[in-house]
Amino acid sequence: MKQQRMTGWVAAGVGITALIALGTTAMAAPVKPDYPKSIGKGEGQLNIVAWEGYAQDDWVKPFEAATSCKVNRKYAGSSDEMVTLMRQGGGSEYDLVSASGDATLRLIYGGAVQPVSVDLIDDYKNFLPQLQSPPHNTINGIHYGISYDWGPNTLLYNTDKVTPAPTSWSVIYSDAYKGKVTVPDNPIQIADAALYLMATKPELGIKDPYELTQKQLDAAGDLLKAQQPLIKKYWALASDEIELFKNGDAVVGAAWPYQTNTLKAANVKVEDTIPAEGATGWADTWMLSAKAKHPNCAYLWMQYVSTPKVQAQQAIYFGATPANKLACSEMDKLEAGSCTKYHLDAPASYFDKIKFWKTPRAECGDGSKSCTNYTKWQQKWQQIKG
Amino acid sequence: MASQPAPVSGEIIVRVNNVRKTYRSTVAVEHVDLEIRRGEFFTLLGPSGSGKTTTLRLIAGFELPDSGMIEINGADVTKKPPYDRDINTVFQDYALFPHMSVAQNIAYGLETRGVKRADIITRVDEALRMVRLEGFGERLPAQLSGGQRQRVGLARAIVNRPQVLLLDEPLGALDLKLRQEMQSELKRIQAEVNITFLYVTHDQEEALTMSDRLAVFNKGRIEQMGTPVEVYEKPSTEFVANFLGTTNILDRDGRRIMIRPEKMVLTGSGDTLAAAGYHGEPGIVRDAIYVGMFSRYLVELSGGAVVTVVQQNLDRFSASQARQRGEHVQVSWRPENVNAL
Amino acid sequence: MTALTTQTTPSGALRRFSALLWRHPRFGAALLLTPPLGWFVLIYLAALVALFVSAFWTVDDFTGEIIHEWSLTNFITIAGDPTYRAIALRTVGMAAIVTITDIVLAFPFAYYMARIAGPKLRAALFALVLLPLWSSYLARVYSWRLILSNDGLLNWSLAHLGLPALNIGYTNWAMWIVFSYIWLPFMITPIYAALERIPHSLFEASQDLGGRGFRTLRKVVLPLALPGIIAGSIFTFSLTLGDYITPILVGGPGSDFIGNVVYANVGIANNIPFAAAYAAIPLVVMCIYLLVARRLGAFEMM
Repeated sequence: MKQQRMTGWVAAGVGITALIALGTTAMAAPVKPDYPKSIGKGEGQLNIVAWEGYAQDDWVKPFEAATSCKVNRKYAGSSDEMVTLMRQGGGSEYDLVSASGDATLRLIYGGAVQPVSVDLIDDYKNFLPQLQSPPHNTINGIHYGISYDWGPNTLLYNTDKVTPAPTSWSVIYSDAYKGKVTVPDNPIQIADAALYLMATKPELGIKDPYELTQKQLDAAGDLLKAQQPLIKKYWALASDEIELFKNGDAVVGAAWPYQTNTLKAANVKVEDTIPAEGATGWADTWMLSAKAKHPNCAYLWMQYVSTPKVQAQQAIYFGATPANKLACSEMDKLEAGSCTKYHLDAPASYFDKIKFWKTPRAECGDGSKSCTNYTKWQQKWQQIKG
Repeated sequence: MASQPAPVSGEIIVRVNNVRKTYRSTVAVEHVDLEIRRGEFFTLLGPSGSGKTTTLRLIAGFELPDSGMIEINGADVTKKPPYDRDINTVFQDYALFPHMSVAQNIAYGLETRGVKRADIITRVDEALRMVRLEGFGERLPAQLSGGQRQRVGLARAIVNRPQVLLLDEPLGALDLKLRQEMQSELKRIQAEVNITFLYVTHDQEEALTMSDRLAVFNKGRIEQMGTPVEVYEKPSTEFVANFLGTTNILDRDGRRIMIRPEKMVLTGSGDTLAAAGYHGEPGIVRDAIYVGMFSRYLVELSGGAVVTVVQQNLDRFSASQARQRGEHVQVSWRPENVNAL
Repeated sequence: MTALTTQTTPSGALRRFSALLWRHPRFGAALLLTPPLGWFVLIYLAALVALFVSAFWTVDDFTGEIIHEWSLTNFITIAGDPTYRAIALRTVGMAAIVTITDIVLAFPFAYYMARIAGPKLRAALFALVLLPLWSSYLARVYSWRLILSNDGLLNWSLAHLGLPALNIGYTNWAMWIVFSYIWLPFMITPIYAALERIPHSLFEASQDLGGRGFRTLRKVVLPLALPGIIAGSIFTFSLTLGDYITPILVGGPGSDFIGNVVYANVGIANNIPFAAAYAAIPLVVMCIYLLVARRLGAFEMM
């Protein structure tokens, strides 16, 4: 009797396990294009997953008034949460997501999002050329979303403590500021090291900091392991880094313009720069769910948020740079000098220095499978942090 | 048992001199003077809150007196902690260490005093035998009955062969039969180890049967001290007279006098015993209670006051022998049995 | 008439049913226990089984899909990679050190509360111990971060005392301090409960038998407080073992815990089998800990 009962429980456990397993492996390949001819009438509702600050009433209310699409917002705390939310309920619960470059490929290859017709987005042609077909949201010429805003990962330093002003990432890899360095706690940070190695060790043959062979990954890992003893803290949140600089725990590190602006506003003597080696950058994309219930409202939203005015509002609210070049004058209208502050009017050479985030995959850009995937990066990052 | 000659050598082992102890504004004891002789079974008797336990705790060292002096075996221990006094205590709640076996409990005091391992084993066995708990050494206190636990508590104390053993109402938690059994056990053990016992109880019968001498406490003071016979037969205060047994108190000729009920004789109305030297007064029976060994009567005396009279039923009891309620009777007593207060 | 019969039937059935329960109390108990027990088995045990089973799977490097084949790969990686060994050791070691620290700090405090302080002071101390629990865990950890930072309260105080600055912000020292602080109430409370339960007469009995303070403490108080100490240590040990927020907030480089690795693998890398395998370590450690505690007799006297 007892044994029978036991077998019953084991069977139940195995059954549940199988269910969990099924849930995690449902989707497979990128979705094939099936574009609408034009944007139809709104369905009355729009469910979006977004970063906090990406859907403020300032620009959501006018959209709702103009389109009668009621916007239901769900804020996500991390890229991983976004991926999870977009898979929830078979993927039909949400229509749009403001995915970052370290999540986009996961959503595309996981079949969670569908191709978007850029022809239906009027302002698309006004986007920075680098963000019209970036590899993090465009595969073989098929667009899986519309770029929104972006920011570079800059070199932030305390102007009192770090002299002369650094022009190279080498400042965070050398002993000069030992124990006062801070970099993000994110495996994607390996790309920063790879970018530095592209300039300093060309013999490694790194062409794309997000496409590394095992040997190249190891080299980047070694550089970062050597950096570990110099680190005060691997920051997890932007506010962490702001605090580190405010309290004098860190004097130099990798950052976003947001940190620089916040620290300057708090009268902390800091400056940021894009060093000679270039920089990585994050860029967000509005992506359309493969099973969107309200595609017309979704297209109307993408159309609307690409306009210069909304792009400017969003950029200033969040401390980022718009994808639409025409947003410059709108930004200056909202806050004098903000266009220059966020480098939207910078020359093309500035943008060429920025390598936007994309998820590392086993398949390299040339089709070979000799690259290291994100799991490998994650494990490498763990070894680096210790 | 009470009348056994006390094995008293006269040497003073515990001396308490004018001790006073207060808790905040309440006086627990004051003007307490005691002299306890070596080998004595001395009882502190009194109702709860009378100061008897406080006195014991002062002697044990669990409390320090506000003033006065305490001497044990000639040494001033007034300010010394319990572990520097050559005495041991048997606690009312036994206070056995629940995580130690019976043998470990008993060995505890010997170990603290650094007695050799082999000696400890012998002495623990000896103590177990004395309290008739051979073979219980490995048990935990939780596995014992109340009476057995009390024996362990006793063994744990006497194994140290202290100058004085303090017993704080040790039988209070036991039922009547067990209590009587333990009373004689205690007397037997005291005779065997020849240690001075200082015993606290509120049970007057226990005090009378067991003690060589006793002190009666009331309201923080000692009312009377003496042998059980002295204290019972010649109580010096009304409180003592009432606390030890029943008593009749009368106002006669401007004096307050006391006569024990069993020392009164009941005869028929007009049947005086004056010839035999008795003093007699007429009265009416207000209540008659048959108890078995004796009968108890409440008699209203014509001279005032209601007295209790106890008559032994020496012959087989019959209705004719009994005094009826409302019957006119004569109550008589010998003048030498009268106590003037 | 019909209405009457329909009304009596259910009450009759109910009465028969209640009579059945009365005659067979075991049946009643089973009826009472089945829903919570079923819930427990289904949710808790099934989740554990799922965790253990998935720990033996792997993730395909190219597709990112879970391969449902039995393999020890994850465990071999954990055992073979010095990083994962170091993190596991760091986590367990920190849990042990925090537990010992809390015992050392909590015991005298709990002793004072339970045996020395008067009723008013005791209530005040209780409030003092429990008050931090009413504020957010995050707020408390963040406040420590501010205290320990370079320009924080600690260094400010040291500077005023003319002492050199301590650079312990964002280090394992900081984690040790913060963990010891935040879990301290979980150690004080059970030790207090254990000490408070010891009858006063046992202290007197020990003194009476010649035991001075230290001997009484070692032979009587400590053994009787042991169940409380063990109960507290189960809290502090398991809470530290499972934490991953404090390492993020106050840890520096080389401060990751098992929880951080699990989080990174579930969230960022989507390698659930590896996360499951690594999450098995604290589970196993906790099982061993409880077995040892039971062997020490900690549960017998509870």
